[in-house]
Amino acid sequence: MIYRFGIILLILILLFIPVFATPYMILLLTELVLLSLFSTSYNLIFGYGGMVSFGHAAYFGLGAYTLAIAVKKYGLSPFVGLILAPLIGGIFALIIGWFCVRTVRLYFALLTLAFSQLFYTIVFQWYDFTGGSDGIHGIVRPEVLSPSLNFYYFSLGIVIICMVFLWRIIESPFGWSLRAIRENVERAQFLGINDRLYRLIAFILSGCFAAVAGALYTFFQRWASPDLLFWTTSAEPVLMCILGGMFNFFGPAVGTMLFIFLRQVITDYTLYWPFVLGMILLFLVLFIPQGITGFVGDILRKITKNYSGGVKNAS
Amino acid sequence: MTSITWGVDTIILLILSGLTKASLLFIVAAGLSLVFGVLRIINLAHGSFYMIGAFIAASIVTRNPEGPSFWFAIAIAPFIVAIFGWIIELAVLRRIYRSEHIVQLLATYALILILGDVVRMIWGAEYISISFPQPLTKPVSIMDSYFPSYNLFVIAWAPLIALFLWWFVYKTGIGCLVRAAVSDAEMLDALGINIQRIFSIVFTIGAFLAALGGIIVSPMGSIGLGMDLEILIEAFVVAVIGGLGSFAGALLGSVIIGLMHSFGITIAPRMAMAFIFLAMVTVLIIRPWGIFGEKER
Repeated sequence: MIYRFGIILLILILLFIPVFATPYMILLLTELVLLSLFSTSYNLIFGYGGMVSFGHAAYFGLGAYTLAIAVKKYGLSPFVGLILAPLIGGIFALIIGWFCVRTVRLYFALLTLAFSQLFYTIVFQWYDFTGGSDGIHGIVRPEVLSPSLNFYYFSLGIVIICMVFLWRIIESPFGWSLRAIRENVERAQFLGINDRLYRLIAFILSGCFAAVAGALYTFFQRWASPDLLFWTTSAEPVLMCILGGMFNFFGPAVGTMLFIFLRQVITDYTLYWPFVLGMILLFLVLFIPQGITGFVGDILRKITKNYSGGVKNAS
Repeated sequence: MTSITWGVDTIILLILSGLTKASLLFIVAAGLSLVFGVLRIINLAHGSFYMIGAFIAASIVTRNPEGPSFWFAIAIAPFIVAIFGWIIELAVLRRIYRSEHIVQLLATYALILILGDVVRMIWGAEYISISFPQPLTKPVSIMDSYFPSYNLFVIAWAPLIALFLWWFVYKTGIGCLVRAAVSDAEMLDALGINIQRIFSIVFTIGAFLAALGGIIVSPMGSIGLGMDLEILIEAFVVAVIGGLGSFAGALLGSVIIGLMHSFGITIAPRMAMAFIFLAMVTVLIIRPWGIFGEKER
């Protein structure tokens, strides 16, 4: 009950906040919405699948470049690019995932990192096709989406649709099987769950949604840069999931919100935002490893002894 | 594509420049690998120690560019960074030995952000470059070509470090405990050995080696922010290909990557880096624990 109410409230806030917001805030909100999709897509494999990927930037970047190349090289409509992005992202996630799900834990992280760096170097060097280190500039938004407010609502709409899909995936029998695999692989195998296949499917789906986020991001920024594929981009969704809590559907989105809010507030005071971010992250992993959402949830649980429903904790 | 004549001297030069790169990579990757082998932690902040080493060396040299200040820097800067690394081990690493991989990765990632900004606070965002130290300023002639004598000096470091590490691990009492910690840290702990101290020593040596690499590289290119991320990923590739935790692996890995680098950039400049990551992917798929590594328990 409370949960559903919270979601409706959140959507209402996101719908009506531009009325009060300055143009700059609308840009921030758009970024927030897009990166929330990126981090939530990552959490499908990270929080629910228990797979620590250090290469999620690959799909974000593939989506971004799919849109950019479709528009600038082939003269296609950006909307076609937006539809192609999850397909391309999904195909590559299938190929990469096919190898990656065979490995576990640290080697999984290393292999995903290696693949994403491979894509990064290809994009960085292939001047004829990807624009190399310059990236691809000058993606023009259609007239309807040209005002940033319209683009905000457009992205919000797509992100809400994607979030609903992700929610349905996570709450489906498939999603629960994924959690079972995370908790105890052997037991899941005995129940007849094909763990590799399930993890591969999760990996592909996660890649598709990340590609949508990446394509929207290029559409929003009007250009694609190889930095979108660099490994530090992969660290961002990990960070957001940890910041917000990885065992909650909205944890990554909350983490993204906190990330953007903090960045905004702190960069007003000091140039050393990475320093502060590092300190916060260090504090979090050392003292509050369950993330902010989990932390607040724990406190709530302590306050209300008969706490039930509320924040659904998947762990 | 540039036209190159494939004479014997071209090949020798390419091998030498590949070995220069390999030597540097080995110094850095050996530290990364050693720390992983004993502490079972991937220290993402390893590149930060490298960068700090380079910046300290640059500070010392720019203060007095004429004299033998570079040799002074190489003698003291690694120790400064090692002490710094030791403090970080006490403050941060010690708390996460029993944590999950992701917590360890995030904590050391946080260190990258913090240390990167600390460097920016102290030295600013400008690039610094320092010249080759005396008496290694002039190139030496090899057949019909010239090769920087400083690079030969760099190549000499890898065997020295390899020898030192071999001596340390196989011939000293602490090294013996280090080997025991690699095979079973808990058992060693149960036997009453102060395992925390061994972890501290190993981490400090890791920081020392990273800083040494940074100082040695400092006259060869510009010193600036971002060199931490650059070397980290390269050292990573080397350590993973050779096998995390193995010195022989780090040595072989660095030679492979160094030569791939120098030949790759000459033959197909656009694809050299992609080939290096392709090599990493291939090794991870076929033999995830690397050429000389051991399967994780």
